[in-house]
Amino acid sequence: MAIAPTFEYARPRNLEEALRLKAQYRERALVLAGGTDLIANLREDMIHPELLIDIKDIPGLDKIVIEAGTLKLGPLVTFTQLIEFGPLGKSFPMLLDASRTVASVGIRNRATLVGNICSAVPSLDSAPPLLCHEAVVHCLSLEGERHIRIDDWFTGPRKTALKPDEIVTGITLQPVFHSGSGIYLKLGRYGGEDLAQTGWGILIDGANHYRVAHCALGPVPARASKIEALLDGNQLNEALIQQAMDLVPEEISPITDIRSSKEYRTHISKVILKRGLLAARERLAGKDIDPRTLLGGI
Amino acid sequence: MKEIHLTLNHEERSAWVETNETLLEVLRDKLGVKSPKCGCERGDCGACTVLMDGKAIRSCLVLAVEAEGHSILTVEGLSPDKLTALQETFIEFNSFQCGFCAPGIILAITELLESHPKPSLEEIKESIAGNLCRCTGYTPIFDAVMAHIQREDK
Amino acid sequence: MKDFKYIGKDVVRIDAREKISGAAIYGDDIDFGPKLLYAEIVASTQAHAIIKGIDFSAALKVPGVYKVFTGKDFPFKFGLYMKDRYVFAQDKVRFVGEQVAAVIARTPQAAKQGAKLVKVEYEPLPVVLDQMQALEEGAELLHPDLDSYPHVPWFFPKGGTNIAHWRKTRKGDLDKGFSEAEHILEDTYRVPRYAHCAIETHVAIGMLDHGGRLTVWSSSQSPHTQRHLFAEALGMSHKDVRVIAPHVGGGFGGKAGVTMEIIPAALATRLKGYAVKLRYTREEEFINTYQRLGVVAKIRMGVDKEGRITALDHKIYWDAGAYVEYGANVVNAVGLSAIGPYKIDNVSIDSVCVYTNLPPGGAYRGFGYSEMLFGLESHVTRMAKQIGMDEIEFRRLNAIRENDLTAYGAHMNPNGLIECIDKVKDAIRWGDKPLPTRPHTRIGQGFSIFWKAPAMPPNASSSSFLKFNEDASINLIISGMDIGQGYQTVMAQIAAEILSVPPHRIRVETPDTDRNPYEWQTVASHITWSSGNSVKAAALDAREQILDLITRVYHYPKDELYLEDEAVKCHTQPNFILPLRDFVVNGIMTADGTFKGGPINARGMYMPEFSSTNGDPETSQGGHPNVHYTVGAAALNLEIDEETGKMKVLKAALAIDAGKALNPDLVRGQITGGLLQGLATVLYEDMRYDASGKLLNPNFTDYKIPTSMDVPDEIIPIIVEVPQPDGPFGARGIGEHTMLPAAPMIANAVEDALGVRIKSMPVTAEKVAMSLFGEDK
Repeated sequence: MAIAPTFEYARPRNLEEALRLKAQYRERALVLAGGTDLIANLREDMIHPELLIDIKDIPGLDKIVIEAGTLKLGPLVTFTQLIEFGPLGKSFPMLLDASRTVASVGIRNRATLVGNICSAVPSLDSAPPLLCHEAVVHCLSLEGERHIRIDDWFTGPRKTALKPDEIVTGITLQPVFHSGSGIYLKLGRYGGEDLAQTGWGILIDGANHYRVAHCALGPVPARASKIEALLDGNQLNEALIQQAMDLVPEEISPITDIRSSKEYRTHISKVILKRGLLAARERLAGKDIDPRTLLGGI
Repeated sequence: MKEIHLTLNHEERSAWVETNETLLEVLRDKLGVKSPKCGCERGDCGACTVLMDGKAIRSCLVLAVEAEGHSILTVEGLSPDKLTALQETFIEFNSFQCGFCAPGIILAITELLESHPKPSLEEIKESIAGNLCRCTGYTPIFDAVMAHIQREDK
Repeated sequence: MKDFKYIGKDVVRIDAREKISGAAIYGDDIDFGPKLLYAEIVASTQAHAIIKGIDFSAALKVPGVYKVFTGKDFPFKFGLYMKDRYVFAQDKVRFVGEQVAAVIARTPQAAKQGAKLVKVEYEPLPVVLDQMQALEEGAELLHPDLDSYPHVPWFFPKGGTNIAHWRKTRKGDLDKGFSEAEHILEDTYRVPRYAHCAIETHVAIGMLDHGGRLTVWSSSQSPHTQRHLFAEALGMSHKDVRVIAPHVGGGFGGKAGVTMEIIPAALATRLKGYAVKLRYTREEEFINTYQRLGVVAKIRMGVDKEGRITALDHKIYWDAGAYVEYGANVVNAVGLSAIGPYKIDNVSIDSVCVYTNLPPGGAYRGFGYSEMLFGLESHVTRMAKQIGMDEIEFRRLNAIRENDLTAYGAHMNPNGLIECIDKVKDAIRWGDKPLPTRPHTRIGQGFSIFWKAPAMPPNASSSSFLKFNEDASINLIISGMDIGQGYQTVMAQIAAEILSVPPHRIRVETPDTDRNPYEWQTVASHITWSSGNSVKAAALDAREQILDLITRVYHYPKDELYLEDEAVKCHTQPNFILPLRDFVVNGIMTADGTFKGGPINARGMYMPEFSSTNGDPETSQGGHPNVHYTVGAAALNLEIDEETGKMKVLKAALAIDAGKALNPDLVRGQITGGLLQGLATVLYEDMRYDASGKLLNPNFTDYKIPTSMDVPDEIIPIIVEVPQPDGPFGARGIGEHTMLPAAPMIANAVEDALGVRIKSMPVTAEKVAMSLFGEDK
């Protein structure tokens, strides 16, 4: 099936040029990075831009670095780059877990983390790690910079706080805990690639501090603040975990769709929370855990 | 219409394209390379896989204009004179049946072996997890790759 | 046992190099130059409605759009076993996705733009999405003119209802059988629709040249059957219709018969001088090609105190879709065989083909037997448990043996069912479950036996031509399709064995109906047997010609001559070695300078002359509708996470009686591929329709087919060989069968592990978990 809509295509060589175009066209222009979401949407007639602004030639936008503990990513950083970034596993294991579950190699070689959060689908795998690590999205327009906390970024299914004249220039993540570890667990329908029917990120440190976030359980990904409040300052034990599991239905508003029922999503979320807390604790103790084996099935 | 210039299978090529034509369409309909196939047009099946600057990508999700200045490799370009040792091993092991997924899988494995000359079975599986094969059940593909690695080792 | 040189060997595929180098040409790869036009289908958005009007004036204004065609342009019916289908919908649409019009344009973008602008006005009619609903008194009739549809004589439609065909099989005395039963078990099983998902979608190009000659290139399993249907429907002589089949990127039954190919064929007749291509998108592939039929099966089984099955009442209601010209034969095939591979004296089978407002059901690997065996093999396991007998012993006791009567009263062919059962039982170590290696997991073992016969008309035949080239390489000219199973290689092996020319010196190409002789269809797992017999006959014909010529020229007795290493040799004349290349085209020069012989061109043909369909319409007794059955057995170890319901097949063993595995490597390839496809249907493939009849997941994002991450840890393929007396070297087909046991094995293993019996497919992780944890458990 061909792409029916027609549009202009620009390939600015620097950020100023790109910002000028965005300021001029506003919603009528879309930024093209990896394109794995955008091209598919074009083909299905879901979007009708007049102009695509391809930012892949702009130098310096594909940097990934940890500076004073903070992870800084440019908008052209692909999931493959993230996965191959050596320090990620130690410092931000939850983000490594999530990156590895996104689609497949051929998609990850193009798809960018920034593009992912701009698509803002409720089942966004990268969202729970970003939420747990208090990520900030850096946006730029001719008017100036804005730094949007990830909690404020997702405003609805496929909707973000990005303004029509803005381009995302990077994301930063904080370690949050002095020496913590985390894990991302995702429910799919089988061993192959799948959009999350539910995904949970759990961050933990040696002093009983916790961050918990989920995706695919409401119109936007979110922190599980009630569960965090319950757990905070307490050592994990069977009774505490059970209490946390009992809180799950209050934290989430899943729907029934063709991928899963709300009953199963709720049930699995409890199981994921339990196993995720225990696995995060094991990782903290230095154990090597592959999250993909934790739910059975592969 | 824009004119794009790219390196395709080690040759300098150019084509006139509309902005809404995908790389897959242009490779097949304007540049005469038929091995990348159209299977789903959503990036779900991997039949359209080509290597761009050495990396496996889904050419159905890339606009032709994006390929300007880049280097594209398809199965025809892997082996201009004779088949690669990996390809010969696939033949020996009867790894493919209808053959429609073969070009994509061969390129995906080629990319893997460039950076991981001795991958584990798990790594092999993951490298082709986005290439759907309906015929073989994948096992004869794994067997051939594992045998190829052992032979390269010697 | 004779030692063969090529038969029974793991010969490398002769089409491998072409496919792995990227050289293989599939339908969409063919270039047609500037005369190519593109067709885009306008599909129905309604499941059942009267078409009030079609306005395509806006479409015609799109630059590049050339013409638009609708049902008015092609008002004829067509169909394989029954003529109930149209090229485009006529007065009504009967399923969401049915083709209503086609926009023809010079570019695919323009065609797509044009199609978006075609306005169709519908008057909705009541929608029937469920076969049981369609059978109710007063249900909306989908085909009020059913009585007028031409069909094969062994179909029994019921005019005035939605029953397109009702196959009744009655054997023995059912009431007596149940009265003899000590235990009776009755239950209902449900199987939804499934999609083939070949990675290459359907594609066909039609061209009518200015001389009036129609050529259709199509990705097809059935080029000759397509040519026949086109010629009949379009009113042309067969010699003026040419079907050329390129390589096919997977078929699985979905590319059998005629579905969308008739559209470009018909369109071409109105676009003289142009080639018009229709290539289905993945979405169209899901929505408007054959699907596997859905089933509601009611089984009542009686068993005596020895454990013998005394009675079986099997009622199967098929959701066959809006048009059943092919699907009705699925219903028929199962109606003759729904006793499974068991000896049962008292049988009643009702296999009912029901029209529904869903896409047409058709041939899908297994041809109804997967659907039937899910219920039957689940039921057998439960029956065994009910009477306290080991389920393998129960199957062994009741297994059908050579010469036992089938459901319709014919004698069962030689078969290795017991051997298959015993070998699988050993290979899986039945009763000796592995221990769980992870917390929260249980292990279950599942077992199933299976059988299937080719479902074909009694005159489905094969024919071959064989010609030698100057260097004694061979062109084998046949019309079966290699859809991945390795057909070309196996046929080459047969000719190779007889003529001593190695398989890689034999070329087998995809067919052109102008050049290649008739082959019914590449379906039913029957062409190794049927086409193999015709190739064997052709090779023997060539051999006869060669030996006759040598005898004529050299006067050696024919029975002392033999072929070896591409030469003619003589047992009594060790020095006589005449290479084939010296004479197979050019003849043999004799002492007086004249040449004897000439090009060796041979032919062969196979017709199953013993097959017939004149069974009694009310009982199916009599006749010989099935040429033979292939049997097998399978088992697996399943690991289930008892909190998430997620399942993993640790180990699977599958034994199949191939008669003679002409190429064991390719048989193993079918076992691995078929088993994974079967496991996918039971574990995660899941078609979802909404209440309006719209398919909600027409893509791979939400209809999941297996990836490299979903392969069982270990698959043990077991080949059993009890020769098929009328098969080439004893061979019979196995391609479809390897899918059949997957679904019941999983359901049985789930019950074994968790004590939960799931009677509907798919048996997903969600279903398993909710059966343990759900509110309504």
